[in-house]
Amino acid sequence: MKRGVRAALGALALAGLGCASTPDPWEGMNRGTFWFNERVDRAVLEPVATGWDWILPERVQTSVSNFFDNLFVPIVFVNDLFQAKPVAASQDVGRFVVNTTAGVAGFFDVASRIGIPENDEDFGQTFGRWGCPPGPYLVLPLLGPSSVRDAFGRVGDSASTIYGYFVPWAVTAGLTTVDTVNVRAALLEEIRQDREESLDFYVFVRNAYLENREHRVRDRVVPSDEDDLYYIEDEEEDQP
Amino acid sequence: MKRAPRGIVAAIALACVAGTAPARAGSAGPSAVIRETADAVVAVLNDGALDTAQRRKRIEDIAYERFDFDTISRLVLGRNWKALSPAQQEEFLREFRALLSESYGRRIDRYEQEEVKILGERAEQRGDVTVQTKIVGGQANDLQVDYRLRQKEGVWLVIDVVVEGASLLSNYRSQFAEVWSQGGPETLLKRMRERKIATEPASADAG
Repeated sequence: MKRGVRAALGALALAGLGCASTPDPWEGMNRGTFWFNERVDRAVLEPVATGWDWILPERVQTSVSNFFDNLFVPIVFVNDLFQAKPVAASQDVGRFVVNTTAGVAGFFDVASRIGIPENDEDFGQTFGRWGCPPGPYLVLPLLGPSSVRDAFGRVGDSASTIYGYFVPWAVTAGLTTVDTVNVRAALLEEIRQDREESLDFYVFVRNAYLENREHRVRDRVVPSDEDDLYYIEDEEEDQP
Repeated sequence: MKRAPRGIVAAIALACVAGTAPARAGSAGPSAVIRETADAVVAVLNDGALDTAQRRKRIEDIAYERFDFDTISRLVLGRNWKALSPAQQEEFLREFRALLSESYGRRIDRYEQEEVKILGERAEQRGDVTVQTKIVGGQANDLQVDYRLRQKEGVWLVIDVVVEGASLLSNYRSQFAEVWSQGGPETLLKRMRERKIATEPASADAG
């Protein structure tokens, strides 16, 4: 683990140097992977998720979502420790214990009802917190949008998925499939609208992904200063 | 003894006039604008007499009033705005306004049982103000939505919506820059026209 992390950090530092100006030096390759993923989604995942959404009531889908959120809590815990957040880490422990027992293996989010907050962490965010830039944007086959940093983060996430060491590979694969379909089912309308309203869906996803990830690395605290996004060029010259 | 109070009264009177002049024109501060907008939207969503198309139309109308499409268009095109002819600028503005309003209407229409909670305001550069809100309840529970407003002739208007860190303005800006770099303004305007035809075959006129 430690070796992997250190190697990841080295690679990230290298990647970060090369990409200060453009976040997407591998655009050609990424676009290819992106459209491959889109075709798979339209041919397989979206239809399956549509059926899933049609068959299962929303309450059941929420429970399934709770179950997978709970399975992820140990990873959140590890990352809260790596980011030196003892309060958050103790909340994660409380949440996991309560939801696994009183919440019947995680299907019911009892913890939220009794006021234990849900934290959002993963290894990609931890690397970001440690000062690693995201590096170039990277679209992973079947897994979707990522960055060099977050791709390494995913490796860390799967390595610390504890139950994976105790169950046969097929079980992990099955669970991952159910999770994927269930998440996709919750996004049916959202993604349909985004596809229809964007002039370039690839750019839409890239921009939204990168901004959202940095937002989460900063724990949803918005920096007060902004870039030139809100500045009209030649504004002064326009004034009489 | 008498002069000083009179001077103070005059100063207070002046300060009041100066303070209220823009406020009178706009009547509401940034948070109040967002509150009113959210309440107006909820009223439309809860109006059982309206069908989906009518609901969306009403919400689009609300967006028309609250967004500063002129400023958004300039910001979203950056330096390319100046490269457009006046006729192209007008067309871009019309198409983009239609796109954003439709988008807003469709999106809000999906949020049924949600409630908008205003968390606070933050002063930004150039006199802008960001109103921080959170959606509570429903599928979008805990979603963080920030509205950036800029004052125009005394009225606070929305110039950006930032959902969980992802800025609408920034997103369209990068998309437009991409399309522009591929084929210039003609291609951009063509793509915008085609998109509208693709989504809304029935009503082609944006007004």
